[in-house]
Amino acid sequence: MIKLKPAVLYNCSTKIKPIGIFYLVQYTIFALICIIINICTGKNQNGSNGLELCTIVFVSITGVLSFKEDFKTLLQNGYTRKYIFLSTVCMFVTITGSMAIIDTVIGNVLHHFISGYNTIFGMMYGYDNLLLNWLWLTVVYMLFCSLFYLAVLVINKVGKMTSLLIGVGLVGVILVIVSLFRFVFSSEIVSNIMRFVMNAMGFMNDGTQNLLFPILSFFGIGFVLTVCSYAIIRRTELN
Amino acid sequence: MEAIQIKNISKKYKDVVALDNVSFSFEYGKIYGLLGRNGAGKSTLINIIANRIFADSGNVLIDGISAKENIAIHNKIFCMSEADLYNRDLKVKEHFKWASRFYDSFDSSKALEIAKQYDLDINKRFKELSEGYQSIFKLIIALSLNVPYVIFDEPVLGLDANHRELFYNLLLKEFEAGQQTFIIATHLIEEVTEIIEEVVFIDKGKIIVNESVETLLQKGYSVSGSIKEVDSYCKGREIIGYDELGGLKIAYIIGEKPAMSEKRNLQISTMTLQKLFIKMTNERGK
Repeated sequence: MIKLKPAVLYNCSTKIKPIGIFYLVQYTIFALICIIINICTGKNQNGSNGLELCTIVFVSITGVLSFKEDFKTLLQNGYTRKYIFLSTVCMFVTITGSMAIIDTVIGNVLHHFISGYNTIFGMMYGYDNLLLNWLWLTVVYMLFCSLFYLAVLVINKVGKMTSLLIGVGLVGVILVIVSLFRFVFSSEIVSNIMRFVMNAMGFMNDGTQNLLFPILSFFGIGFVLTVCSYAIIRRTELN
Repeated sequence: MEAIQIKNISKKYKDVVALDNVSFSFEYGKIYGLLGRNGAGKSTLINIIANRIFADSGNVLIDGISAKENIAIHNKIFCMSEADLYNRDLKVKEHFKWASRFYDSFDSSKALEIAKQYDLDINKRFKELSEGYQSIFKLIIALSLNVPYVIFDEPVLGLDANHRELFYNLLLKEFEAGQQTFIIATHLIEEVTEIIEEVVFIDKGKIIVNESVETLLQKGYSVSGSIKEVDSYCKGREIIGYDELGGLKIAYIIGEKPAMSEKRNLQISTMTLQKLFIKMTNERGK
């Protein structure tokens, strides 16, 4: 694993500048919106909530771009697919963990100082536990990174036309599932499924919250997506 | 064994056979020319050796170690590609920095020195370089690495004559200094004839020649003269091709170059590697 460190550093280094630009643009726009609202209404209000959504979009794009350039560069420099995959996962963990720290800190500071500003985590689970807030955001970001990384690997593997057909198929599956819930499953089955989903998101039947459940759920889904990504990348050839 | 051993490699792209049960070796400490026409299978073979694509069957061993998905060969082989596999947004000097981190044997000072000789601006981003300078950049990386096996895939693409000459000189200097194996895959056969010791001709996915340049050139010769006399001379000999120009005919013959009888008004010459290559591979797309 001695050669892994430079590959991870390389992967991370190519993302630092885009991350800097992302936060600069995001908070500049956010500040401008706040200033305009303050001038217009004369109140200390904000125009946006849940800025973590922007980070989710950003890490999803990072997941897509992590395959194209980095795979070629590392392959050119003699890395195996296993090392490329491991370096990518390490980069995802580093970036999502770091961005989750930034978003947790800034989100909670904004919530404290700006009237009406809420983070996604805060809206769902409150503002009592910063550590779990960070962990939750990290696994959510990781999940989106892994999902879009897998998507781009699939597209690269099967080609555009087959990918489109898979996309159409997925839409069909979603429509069928919605129909099943509305017209086929009994209300008891639907209720059980909804209860399972709510439990997985940390909302327990007795009205309490268990924050480890959503963290473990997102981590589990992300892990499965990552394993699928490895199954594909280990057979991926240079186009 | 110190060599790149290619064992029964086959590769198909849909219905096209790119490599057909190819087996041979690149021995350590020699300069090879890997020559073939477009689509002959050169790049496919190189990409399999460099673990960029996978063979359908067979395997490649580098110093006895399997080359497929094996990090143990990381410091044994480097392949300079015709294709752009580098991050286009990084500056040349940043690429040098990363190469020194990826490879223990990358000599940064040598890279900077060669860049200076080529007048390459190391502050430019890869995407800002012309096609020729992109090739030069890739050559510099390859020449600054002290790994046992270095493969050049179309190394002089887009380079002017001066830069090509400089590359050949640097390559020979490196070879004399380091006892590496260099494999040059190129179309410019005439240019590399003076450099390469061994030659591998690949055609339609098969190896048709694998021997030293010296031995190969001794295997054939050309005879030129009037059509009648050349035709008469060629009877009973193994002919691989003809060229005709006006009343003059040249025949390319396999066999030991003879001492010419004075009675015949024929001229006998040693065949060039390029001519031999053309005549051996000219069945398609003349």
